[in-house]
Amino acid sequence: MGRYVIRRLLQALPLLFAISVVSFAILKFTPGGPLAAYEGNPDFTEADRLRLENAFGLDQPLPVQYANWIGAFIRLDWGYSFASHQPVLGLIGERLPNTLYLMGTVFLVVLLIAIPIGVLTASKQYSVFDHVITGTTFAFLSTPTFWLGLLLIILFGLQLRWLPLGGMATPGADFDLADRAKHLVLPVMTLALVQVGGHVRYLRASMLETIGQDYMRTARAKGLSERVLTMRHAFKNAAIPLVTIVALDLPELFVGALVTEQIFGWPGMGRLFWDAATRSDYPVLQGILAVSSGLIILANLVADVLYGYLDPRIRYS
Amino acid sequence: MARKLFVILAALSLVASACASTPPGSTQATATAAASEAPVKGGTAIVAIWQEPTTLAAHYANQTVTDIVNNGVLEGLAETTTDGQYVPNLAKSVPSVGNGGAVVKGTKLDVTWELKPGIKWSDGTPLTSADIKYTWEIWMKDPKVNNRTGFSEIESIDTPNELTAVVHYKSIYAPYPLNFSSLMPKHLLEKEADISKTDYVRRPLGTGPYKVTEFKPGDSITLEKNPNYRGAPDKPYLDKIIFRSVPTSEVALAQVKAGEVHAMWNVTESQTPELEKESSLVIQAVPGPSVERMELNTAINRENTDPNSVHPVLGDIEVRKALLYATPKQQLIDKLLFGKGKPGTSPVSQGWAAYREPQEGYDPAKANATLDRAGWVKGSDGIRSKGGARASLTLATTSGNQLRERVQQVLIDEYKSIGIEVKIQNQPSAVILSGSCAAKDPRKLGTFDMLIYASSPGIDPHSTIFPRYHSKNIPTQADCSGQNYTRFKDPIADKAIEEAGATLDQDKRKTAYATAMKQLNAAYVIIWLYDRQDIDVRNAKLSGWQANTWQRVTWNVEDWFLKK
Repeated sequence: MGRYVIRRLLQALPLLFAISVVSFAILKFTPGGPLAAYEGNPDFTEADRLRLENAFGLDQPLPVQYANWIGAFIRLDWGYSFASHQPVLGLIGERLPNTLYLMGTVFLVVLLIAIPIGVLTASKQYSVFDHVITGTTFAFLSTPTFWLGLLLIILFGLQLRWLPLGGMATPGADFDLADRAKHLVLPVMTLALVQVGGHVRYLRASMLETIGQDYMRTARAKGLSERVLTMRHAFKNAAIPLVTIVALDLPELFVGALVTEQIFGWPGMGRLFWDAATRSDYPVLQGILAVSSGLIILANLVADVLYGYLDPRIRYS
Repeated sequence: MARKLFVILAALSLVASACASTPPGSTQATATAAASEAPVKGGTAIVAIWQEPTTLAAHYANQTVTDIVNNGVLEGLAETTTDGQYVPNLAKSVPSVGNGGAVVKGTKLDVTWELKPGIKWSDGTPLTSADIKYTWEIWMKDPKVNNRTGFSEIESIDTPNELTAVVHYKSIYAPYPLNFSSLMPKHLLEKEADISKTDYVRRPLGTGPYKVTEFKPGDSITLEKNPNYRGAPDKPYLDKIIFRSVPTSEVALAQVKAGEVHAMWNVTESQTPELEKESSLVIQAVPGPSVERMELNTAINRENTDPNSVHPVLGDIEVRKALLYATPKQQLIDKLLFGKGKPGTSPVSQGWAAYREPQEGYDPAKANATLDRAGWVKGSDGIRSKGGARASLTLATTSGNQLRERVQQVLIDEYKSIGIEVKIQNQPSAVILSGSCAAKDPRKLGTFDMLIYASSPGIDPHSTIFPRYHSKNIPTQADCSGQNYTRFKDPIADKAIEEAGATLDQDKRKTAYATAMKQLNAAYVIIWLYDRQDIDVRNAKLSGWQANTWQRVTWNVEDWFLKK
């Protein structure tokens, strides 16, 4: 197992390298560029442009720019934002807790809702409950978050005025747990409603497959109660694919939710990325892209390893 | 994606406003003077900003919203009143030729500034003339400054005493009163090797009524009273101002309607009808210096065009005239701007140099007659042609801008009715307004027929008129820096612009600029569509606002207060 993990990690290196080259190239060929924001100003001259290009290292040939970036990146010097002049690692450090807070809550809420519903719909297949849940989850699964988020804002924020429209807390107020919770409800609801659907579908399908297995019939023949049967024998086995799905979700805890954070004005990673993208702030974009692609590769590895651990029939060599 | 999202947001905000049940027909105050009631001390005002300042350091900043926040924190030697006059701020008076503070020496200029005594930075350190000199030095030394306008014209600065600075300009730099619009603290920064890596970029030290106490990126910026402010303890009235960062202007609008914030910076004209329905809100529309225009390329539409080449269609002044006659400016303002705007007349619509002689009005019959007379004959498809040249033109603007796209639709129909075919050729603003040949700005390269955009002149019009309308500023492959995009060449205008730039006599300058703008309009190369307004909205409880064409809405933030 140890050798397998090491081999996979080594294989990831060229992949990460390739991803960084491609993302670097895509960023550079996007129209506009980091100096576009200055150019609306009639006082901004050609001399200013050349000076700033030099200050930001944009006057170097592209391969040199890339080599400089990756060289520094490996030494954990991720450079400075062109727009805010803050160190990229510092910017990520400011936003990461907010995103972990939002996405961690979503993660827990999704599991807490999806697991019981998934188990129930499978054990009561084709019941009214199953049909209603299947229909509802499909509907939410197919709903874009930006639309759902806005709808929730209009309903709970503007119409009923129960919940704040955005942000993490009431500005200027002292820390208050209830206030924090209120601000969390709508973004969490938006993300959870959409994600629950996927998890329920997976768990239901996996449960149904397990329930149909021969050993389930054997267990039932031994006179085990439905409850024990479902929980101990079916769910345990059916949860294995869920574990991998959950592991693959882990990078999202870091990356955040681009659209949802934008709609709710959540000061997290997603908004940092969005703002950096609109400004062609290459160092910030490159930093986030590198970390998120690294995490995705890592999450895949974790999923594979967990899979093997949970299901002794699977062995890696 | 972003555009789609915007459209949906806009649509939903309309739905939301339709649902919000407030009695219509309520108040709409515009640009009123300061409220007459007695100011209330204390309280926290929250202002929504739908763009976030990336930095508050004035010498690095390139966003309008930075000024919105910094107006409470940073101050300069002088500022501008709404009628376009210079008034002293940190200085005792504004130096001028009249009061002997500004002295022209041949082609050079000496300006003597004297600071008001007793002013302190918000950390308690006294403000001195050394800070004036230091501000110039930083602007010239730091490689990351946004631009060096004005500062690059300075040869040296003497500081004969603590309160006096004599600025020696290499040229007759007329906008000198606003050159030092935000001073930097020498005592805090002089030992820093790179200011961009210090805390100053988020918490700049100033002399203003407030100081930045918290900068939470993506969330909010908090200003609290500066105890060392020269107006203390009377002013400022508000204890705190929080600038809340929201993702879009639609969200800001929703928050101001829901009462979560007291004010929002910058709404569009199309957002005003739904705001007018809310009795708790006051809309403040101030005529801004920004002018929306359609520029016509008189040279051939091709990359690195020869400025002396002649556009097969727009090279004919009669066609350009006809396009003006067929442009329904008032209709655009009434229908698309909801009445918030005025027909454009020139690039300088406000201030002492404003030129308000109107262009000829909307008259499609006259447009048709003009084209008939000039020999442009309608073909079977209704489109005119002359000598093998078909009257088919492209019209470009920034893609994704709803208002401009609607304007284009109106113009296509109008121009078609006079036999001119128009095809849309929009591009992202990052390209079309890049101002860069490398980024393929069509205005710079000459690769456009007609192009719609807006530009705002400063209070001193020279930085608009000289680069945009002097014939030596036509961008070419060899020198791409000019902004004379229509390739307008007129010796009378050139001479007038040069004269205006060589004197500090305001009357002479005004006359000279008027001559240049008259020549410009007589060439029919630019159709001034409309003068834009800066529109902000606030809760009626927030008082003390005052309109100012030349400064952003927070310019007098020390006078703001919250009514009980």
